[in-house]
Amino acid sequence: MNSNPHNPMTSNSDSGANFGEDTLRLIASLPAPEGIEERVHKALRSAPPRKGQVVAWPAEIGSRVLPQSIHSNWMRAAAAAAIVFVVVGGGWGVYSRVEQGQSGKVVVMPARVPGSSGFAGAGAIRTPQTLPGPTIREQATPAGSEGASHRSEQGTPAAKKPSAPKKLTSSSSQPTATQVAPPSAVSK
Amino acid sequence: MMSTSQVIYAGWMEIPTSAVNEDARRRAEDAAISALVDQYAAALYRVAYSVLRNPSDAEDAVQEAFLRVLRHRESLAEVRDHRVWLIRIVWNIVLDRKRRTKTRPETDDVAELARVLPSKGLSQEEIAAAAEHHARVLGCVERLPAKEREVLLLSAFEELTSVEIATVLSITESSVRSRLFRARNLMAELLDHERSLR
Repeated sequence: MNSNPHNPMTSNSDSGANFGEDTLRLIASLPAPEGIEERVHKALRSAPPRKGQVVAWPAEIGSRVLPQSIHSNWMRAAAAAAIVFVVVGGGWGVYSRVEQGQSGKVVVMPARVPGSSGFAGAGAIRTPQTLPGPTIREQATPAGSEGASHRSEQGTPAAKKPSAPKKLTSSSSQPTATQVAPPSAVSK
Repeated sequence: MMSTSQVIYAGWMEIPTSAVNEDARRRAEDAAISALVDQYAAALYRVAYSVLRNPSDAEDAVQEAFLRVLRHRESLAEVRDHRVWLIRIVWNIVLDRKRRTKTRPETDDVAELARVLPSKGLSQEEIAAAAEHHARVLGCVERLPAKEREVLLLSAFEELTSVEIATVLSITESSVRSRLFRARNLMAELLDHERSLR
């Protein structure tokens, strides 16, 4: 057995017997079976041809009908053009049959009820009964007292007092801004 | 010195591509592949056998390797070292097969080893003892981690340098050496353990 100085097993090991390398070398040096080359040649000959090649024209048609250059180049270009024509024509046929007037599905928004404010019903079929919110009730003032009150505003200290707060029907007892303002601020 | 296939390719590559007829090109490729088969089929068989340890599986792997070469013959001209390239192909094939089948190698059987391994000038008892020893060693090799085992198996081939082993395994040369060091230590431990059990 020849020894290769660049082989790592040869260059680093002294005996090799401790690591079982004699066995591995024995296995590695077993002769190949007889006739393996012929069998591989046979397998390669019976292998299927390569895929992905340009389909060749049948030799008889090509040699009889057209000269070699035309048959190989011009006819291939014509065949390619015919394929493109068929594909484009088919696509146009489908496209032209599609009805242009058809519109897509559109969700119609419910029309807003004029005069309503706040939240809209958004087209709901049924809406729940809601409690009426707080409303401000205007205090009814008698027509004759309007001139007296105008007169009392002229210089009297009592007239500088803020007017009575508007009474809310709701149960809120929070004073409004006019209620809490001090008299000095009003006189300014 | 150039190998037969390299000579064929050197001559083929000198011909300008434009002038090469498709048939002539294919004939040149077939001739180059044929030369590769004649030159390296036996070496590839030994590489495949060292992993699979089954003669028919090893031969199938060699055939599959050359079929792959046939399928990628356009890239043959770009290959610098055909030997290492082919060993790498067959190495990947046998590892893939071994992974898929996960069967024990046929020659783990002591009787089969005694039949396969050379026994010239040995008595029947010596042959049996040698076969038993080899089977034990091969059993320890199978228990090694995959990376260490691969390096150990490839390093058993005299004709492969550490650089070539690194190329086959797609690792660096220093990795080859460190893995081989670990493999040897593990093998020594495993064999000692085997001896202590007896």
